[in-house]
Amino acid sequence: MPENTGSRIGGQKRRWFELEVDKGGWELKRIIPREEYCIGCRLCEIHCIVQHSKSRDIIKAFKREKRPLKRVEVEERGHVSFALQCRHCDEAPCITACLSGAMHRDAMSGAVVHDPERCVGCWTCILVCPYGAVRPDGAEKKVVGKCDLCPDLEVPACVANCPNEALVLVEE
Amino acid sequence: MAWKAEERQGKRKIVMQTYDYAIVGNSAAAINACDAIRSLDREGRLAVFAEEKRRCYSRPLISYLVMGEIGEKGMYYRPSGYYRRWGIDFYPGTAVRKVDAERRLLETSRGERFKWRRLLLATGFRPFIPPVEGLEEARYLTFVSWDDARAMIRLTSRPLRALVMGAGLIGMKAAESLHARGCHVAVVEKMDRVLPLALDETASEMVAARCREAGMEILTGRSVSRVTAGGGYRGRALLDDGAEVDFDLLVVAVGVRPRTELAEEAGLECRGGIVVDEYQRTSQPGVFAAGDVALAFDLVRGEAAVNALWPVAAMQGKYAGLNMAGREVPYPGGNSMNAVEFFGLPVLSAGVVNPPDDSYEVIVRRGENGDYRKAVVRGDLLVGMLMAGKIERAGILTSLIQERANVRRIKNFLLEEGFGHIHFPRSLREERIVEAVAGLARADRERGRG
Repeated sequence: MPENTGSRIGGQKRRWFELEVDKGGWELKRIIPREEYCIGCRLCEIHCIVQHSKSRDIIKAFKREKRPLKRVEVEERGHVSFALQCRHCDEAPCITACLSGAMHRDAMSGAVVHDPERCVGCWTCILVCPYGAVRPDGAEKKVVGKCDLCPDLEVPACVANCPNEALVLVEE
Repeated sequence: MAWKAEERQGKRKIVMQTYDYAIVGNSAAAINACDAIRSLDREGRLAVFAEEKRRCYSRPLISYLVMGEIGEKGMYYRPSGYYRRWGIDFYPGTAVRKVDAERRLLETSRGERFKWRRLLLATGFRPFIPPVEGLEEARYLTFVSWDDARAMIRLTSRPLRALVMGAGLIGMKAAESLHARGCHVAVVEKMDRVLPLALDETASEMVAARCREAGMEILTGRSVSRVTAGGGYRGRALLDDGAEVDFDLLVVAVGVRPRTELAEEAGLECRGGIVVDEYQRTSQPGVFAAGDVALAFDLVRGEAAVNALWPVAAMQGKYAGLNMAGREVPYPGGNSMNAVEFFGLPVLSAGVVNPPDDSYEVIVRRGENGDYRKAVVRGDLLVGMLMAGKIERAGILTSLIQERANVRRIKNFLLEEGFGHIHFPRSLREERIVEAVAGLARADRERGRG
């Protein structure tokens, strides 16, 4: 007879896994760069670091604490520049490729997020991300880091702090 | 009341249980197929038959378990309530013995018989045991399952002399694990370098140098010609150059073979792997195959190939599941890809890293810190890449390989430190970034779908 394994504890369970191909029910925020307005000031990178720091204080984050990974990167060549972070792809290659199941779609926001507790740092997500948006996190040994769309903020830090509106938030 | 129950039971025997979806296997392909099926069909009866007693765990993580980097809990690929939550009848410790593809029946090792409407064979691989004299009589370990990892942990409670046959991915992971357990490790490899398929000569040498530095013995260009059992797991190996190696523990990791027996007996077409079309369908209607057992489309080679790799298996399982549930979406194709790290040296590779002839153009770049990068181009297509040391943004190159993008205009920048979307033509860049479509969606469209 079939056996349904699993804990028998009822109620709300920790949801670290949601079906990847199962979409809908959420309004996914996406950050769109507009290169015609980007001047390459890299304030997005700075505010991303601050937002993901322990204290969320710009001085402490840069001068006293272990500086966290920047999850947005400005690409620049000549007069052209733009900031790029995780696209939170509909068909996210990083989720399918993840060996441990750490990379997953957040059930509430639809964002592609990753569970550092489950991540072993095998780098497979780095190997498959078409945007180069997942990186080895030097601060957390052997774990990757990526844009989490700032779950604690109404508007992600990079978007909120761009002086030129070269990063815009679109809700689908 | 008793007779009633009996009758009911008798009735159940006659009316066999029917599953809308039956899945043989319980690893990457199987679970991703379940996910895909459930994303389209919440109601259909779905069963997973697992030979092992455990719920789905990640095979590639067994080395992390042995090295103590993760605990047993970290091995599981899905949360404990997974099968129940998604309404999957899970049969652990139940091997499928026979499949009747015509009558759509299957029989388990417990003698139970089930009907199915769609069947997925995700039976994976088994380690290949080479015909070496004396090996049959000797005790040895393989390194492909949780049980193997447990045995390795148990046997290495005190430091041993370990001999690993084969310096492929599994062999090197076994060697690394044994080293972490305090063993003195020797690796014997028939080819002239370690990880000969995943890496190129330079990267192989970089990895081998790290391993030697750590105290491992790397014996390449040699093979074991005879094994003499010496009680327990102990023994002596005679190498083909006449050298003798005494060991307390032998690990055999010279390769894997797809487990096609079930498929062959069922009359499915197999050619060193179950032959599938682009919808992961086998030669028999209603029967699908995915993962390490399937001979599926390799988009770099342009033909079918077995790529026994976790991410490829997961992707195939996903497409098999979607097609089983009735949404016809062709598998975009896979390619060989490897992400490894040995003693602090990460190496990523994808596609062709060892070009077979000079119709390929090879671009190489060496960084100041000993970083090494390589791109393999054929015509205007990027067909392979390798990054050792600094691995950031390697996936951009992988996606260019998978999209079969024309890289003629950006060829000179591919290996540059800041290579990225800034080097793409603006229209392509905007398409990729603003439309927020991943490489795979784009590849789909190029084939006239999606």
